[in-house]
Order: sequence, then C-alpha cells, then structure tokens
Amino acid sequence: MDDTNNFFYHALTVDHDICTGCTHCMKACPTEAIRIRNGKSVIDKNKCIDCGECFKACSYHAIYIKQDDFDLMDQYKYKVALVPATFIGQFAGDVSTSQIYACLKQIGFSHIYEIEHGVSFLINLYKKYMAEHKDINTFISPYCPAVVRLIQTRFPSLVKNIIHMKVPLDITSLMIREYLSKEGICSEDVGVFYVSPCAAKIAAVKSPVGEDSSAIAGVINMDFLYNKVQHLLSKKTQGESEPIANHSLSGKDILWELTGGESVNFDNSSFAIDGMKNVIEFLEKIEDGDIEVNGLVEMRVCDQSCVGGILCPNNRFLAKQKLEIRAQEIKQHIENNDYQEEELFSEEEFDKKIAPMMNIPTITPRSSFKLHDNLQIALKMVENIKNIESKLPGIDCSACGAPTCSALAEDIIKEEATIDNCLFSHLPPEKYDELLKKIWGKNIKPL
Amino acid sequence: MHYTFDIEEGNFTNAGQASGNIKKTLKQLNVNPASIKRIVVALYEAEINAVAHAYGGKIDVDIDSDKITMVVADRGPGIPNIDLAMTEGYSTASKEVREMGFGAGMGLPNIKSNTDQLDIQTQLGVGTTITMTVFF
Ligand SMILES: Nc1ncnc2c1ncn2[C@@H]1O[C@H](COP(=O)(O)OP(=O)(O)OP(=O)(O)O)[C@@H](O)[C@H]1O
Ligand code: SF4
Ligand SMILES: [Mg+2]
Repeated sequence: MDDTNNFFYHALTVDHDICTGCTHCMKACPTEAIRIRNGKSVIDKNKCIDCGECFKACSYHAIYIKQDDFDLMDQYKYKVALVPATFIGQFAGDVSTSQIYACLKQIGFSHIYEIEHGVSFLINLYKKYMAEHKDINTFISPYCPAVVRLIQTRFPSLVKNIIHMKVPLDITSLMIREYLSKEGICSEDVGVFYVSPCAAKIAAVKSPVGEDSSAIAGVINMDFLYNKVQHLLSKKTQGESEPIANHSLSGKDILWELTGGESVNFDNSSFAIDGMKNVIEFLEKIEDGDIEVNGLVEMRVCDQSCVGGILCPNNRFLAKQKLEIRAQEIKQHIENNDYQEEELFSEEEFDKKIAPMMNIPTITPRSSFKLHDNLQIALKMVENIKNIESKLPGIDCSACGAPTCSALAEDIIKEEATIDNCLFSHLPPEKYDELLKKIWGKNIKPL
Repeated sequence: MHYTFDIEEGNFTNAGQASGNIKKTLKQLNVNPASIKRIVVALYEAEINAVAHAYGGKIDVDIDSDKITMVVADRGPGIPNIDLAMTEGYSTASKEVREMGFGAGMGLPNIKSNTDQLDIQTQLGVGTTITMTVFF
C-alpha cells in the first residue's frame, strides 16, 4: 500500500507573522524538509520528523509547538498527570519531588505518575522480542519518535531493525488506566495528560506509529507546566508537601531518559547514541553493514537525550545532574528500606492485561528520497537533476529558498522551483566571474 | 547515468565518499535495499584497496535501469597473484593500515560475494582495474 499521501501529524508550526524567511531553520533541518517561499519558511509534511532542530535554530522564536487546550482537563473528573522524570530535573537542586507533586495537585491534577513506572516490565518485553527475532542482530530502540520517523523516511531498509513495541509512555498510561479501574474509577472519568519534553513525542501521541489512537487525553508542553509550577513555588503557596505515594520507581528507572539509561539494561554489546548528527552517522553505518551490533542500539536525536528536549527550560547538564542525584537518593532509600513501594501491577497481572497490547504490528517505510516508483522515469529525473546541478554555482548559499544547490536542482525537476530562483543565473557571465571569483576563488563553477 | 570520482592515495578518511554518493542516488531511484547494500559494500572495499594498496586512481560508475557497473582503476603497483589475493584472509597490508582496522584480507572476497559479475585486470607496475556489476 502506498500511503505517502497520509501525512504524519506535526507539532512544529511556523508563525508566518513572525518568520522573516532568514533561512536559519532551513539550513538546520537534517531532512531538508524546509523551503523559503514568499519570504516565509514552509515545512514539507512528508519530510519533517519533528526533531526540533529548526526550533533551536530560529533566532526569532517564529517556530512554536502546538499544545492542547489546558482547559481540556475540566472535562474529566480524574485528571492524571503523566510526567517524565525529566520534568523533575527542570527545577533547582533544592526543590524536592514532593514539593513539585504538591504544586501539580494544586494546579488540579488528582493523580501524578512518572512515566518510568513501566520501564522494568518493558525491558523484559524487549529482551523477549530480541530473543524471538533471530534473523535480526542490530535492534534499534523505538523510544525516540524522531529517530523512528528518521528511519521511516531516510533509512527505510532499517525499519525492520526497530523493535516493534510500545514505549514507556504507552505502557504506563495503560497501566494507570487499568489500575484506576481496579480502584473502582470509571475509565470515562479519567483523563491522562502527558507532559512532553519535545515536539516528536507530541506528534507520536497524536499519530502513533502503526496505530490509530492513543490512550492519552491531551498533551501539555513541559515549559508551560514548568512555568505554572515555578509560579507556585515562588509564591510559596503550594500545599503541605506530602510524601510521594504510588512509587515503584527504582533509581535506574528514572535515568531511562538520559543517554545510556536504556542501553545499560541490555548486554554489553549495546550502544547509546545521542545527538542528530551522531544518530545519522550511526544509521548510515548500520545500513552499509559497517556496524553490526548484537544487541540494542539506544538512539535519541537530542544531545544528552530528553533533558536536551526543546521544551526543557533547564540547562540539560544541570537537569541531568539533578536526575542522577535523585537516582542515588532513591537507591539509598531502597537499600535502607525506608521507601514506600506500591506496585501498580504485579508481574502476572502485567503479563495478562498489558503485555498482549504492547506489540506494534507495522511501521511503514516511507522513503523521502524516492523520486518515482518507475525506475526508468526516476533515472531520467536523476539525470536531469545532475545536469541542472552542474549549472549551479555549488556554494549552497540558500538565497534560492532551498537549503543546497542540489536541493534546488531536485525542486526544479519536481516543478516546485525554477532556475530563476538561483540569483546567480541572472548575472551576465562577465559579472559572474568577476564578482564570484573574488569571493570564492577559482573553485567557482562557470554558469 | 554516469559518475566519476577521484581516489587519493593514502586518504582513508575520504574513502567512502563515492559509495555514500552512489547510495543516495540509488535511494532516489528506489532500488531495493538489499542490492544497495551489496553495491555499497563492494564499491567501498574496492575504493579502500586503491587507497591502501595502490597510489590512488579513479572510479567510474554507470547506472542503468537494471544494473550498476562500477570500474575502479588505480595507478599501480598491480597484483602479482590474483588467485592468492582473492583468498580469504590473505593480506599484505602494512602495519599502519592494520592499525586503522583494515587488512583482514576480506575485501576482495567480499567484493566477489556482493557482485554479480567481477573482472580484475592487473599489470605489474601499471595498475589494477576492477569492474563490478550488480543487477537490481
Ligand atoms: N588495488 C590493489 N592494488 C594492489 N594490490 C591489491 C589491490 N587490492 C588488493 N590487493 C592485494 O590483495 C590483498 C588482498 O586484498 P583484500 O582487499 O582482500 O584484503 P586487504 O585489503 O588486505 O584487507 P581488508 O580488505 O580485509 O581490509 C591485499 O592485501 C593486497 O596485497
Ligand atoms: S531525545 Fe527525547 S526529547 Fe529529544 S526528540 Fe527524542 S524523545 Fe524527544
Ligand atoms: Mg581490502
């Protein structure tokens, strides 16, 4: 089935009132999804993987991340905040987890859970999956949705290497729903709200890979909720800090979102790669057969993983340190036996109720390179691109509205641009030589 | 569709540029991933050999609707015994080359198994020309 026309949901949006068409985002985009048209940045929905590189590159804050209406919460009797451990890492060292929880209660949440609750179950499921798929050596984690989309669009041959299973967020939200219904709470009354560190996770919640719907009622941007909590903290109006209930988190679990926090649970041959450039380089090597990993490759497109997410207000290194200290503390508590543990689920219950829902049947490859289904036609197109490219100056100046000269050449044969877009094509040959050789020297190609 | 690339003697870091470039084109053509992998492996190994064992050279690639032909021609010193060179594990790689992770003597055998047609012409003191064909 060819479903290249079914767009992914995207959380990143350009505010055309603010955008100046400066080309910064276009040059930062790792999938060449952005063009400048009529002075504004335009994102190609089929190529965008919601990684947020454009958001980081924009000096004008013209790129924003859509979030659900916060008042959506009012529709539910029970409002569950599903927060990643990363959220706790956003606050200063002396702010305790229980203080943060108390603020969230005051904001209106009836229940607060950290996403990493499901992690220990999930590790076992992944290990089982890996043992069952003997034809694959290199397993890529499905955790970072930007990585999954990157593979779908740029490395379609590696889709089969992705572990076709759900991630902690899905598992924990299902567990909570089951748990609350066990407590006698009607599931229609429960709204689970996910606090996201990035655009990729929002997009994944809104159009989950390989499925139609997700058990999440709404998404809240992490920076938005951070501001609300910070406001209460500064007013010192938060209620009595209460002991943290419902905890079945180990210190190791809450490090899951940091680089290496996932791979450490698998054997020694596993890898942890963070940062967009590193991820792409590693995927190229896996694809070429240069690297074969007999184990799991954890990959996250953000530097330092999710503490480097674009919606995280705190410095990623400070956030990382805070999580590491907290993990140490939890470990200490567990060792001293002064830790309240409350398992949401026993292993048997999990195996019976949740485990069967954890598989993802298909992840569709959707190559964004493919020019045409017919190889003859595609070959002709490649030839035309090469011809046009040979006539362009090759300096990737982006004034044409495309990120590189070769991207412009491709746009031209797809009839999305013309050679007129290249400003240099308007210079008389003598001027071209005179002007450009002064700047770029002998290497400049003749037009 | 014709492409040419230069191979610089001793420049290991740059080797792989040709195969990377060809890979992108094959993805644009939507060639099946298994063939792409075979092509990239064969071309990369041949390129590395010209860098490691010869004095650089040139790559010519032709892509047709059913196949790719890659010709890697280097400038000397030639291979004295092709049968021996084709043997798994046979290598004359220098200590320096081995330290860079090459020299397992698997390059030519890998080229053989990843191509549908392979022709090696060599002349001592002049150079080696390897012609590889993979059908899509
Ligand atoms: N282009 C070449 N010119 C001269 N000699 C070559 C050339 N290619 C291969 N050889 C010779 O053939 C031997 C075997 O080549 P092969 O590629 O199989 O292994 P290798 O290059 O030594 O190691 P590996 O490819 O596993 O890193 C080389 O060690 C070298 O002596
Ligand atoms: S690394 Fe984490 S924060 Fe960054 S895009 Fe991936 S999931 Fe989102
Ligand atoms: Mg070799």
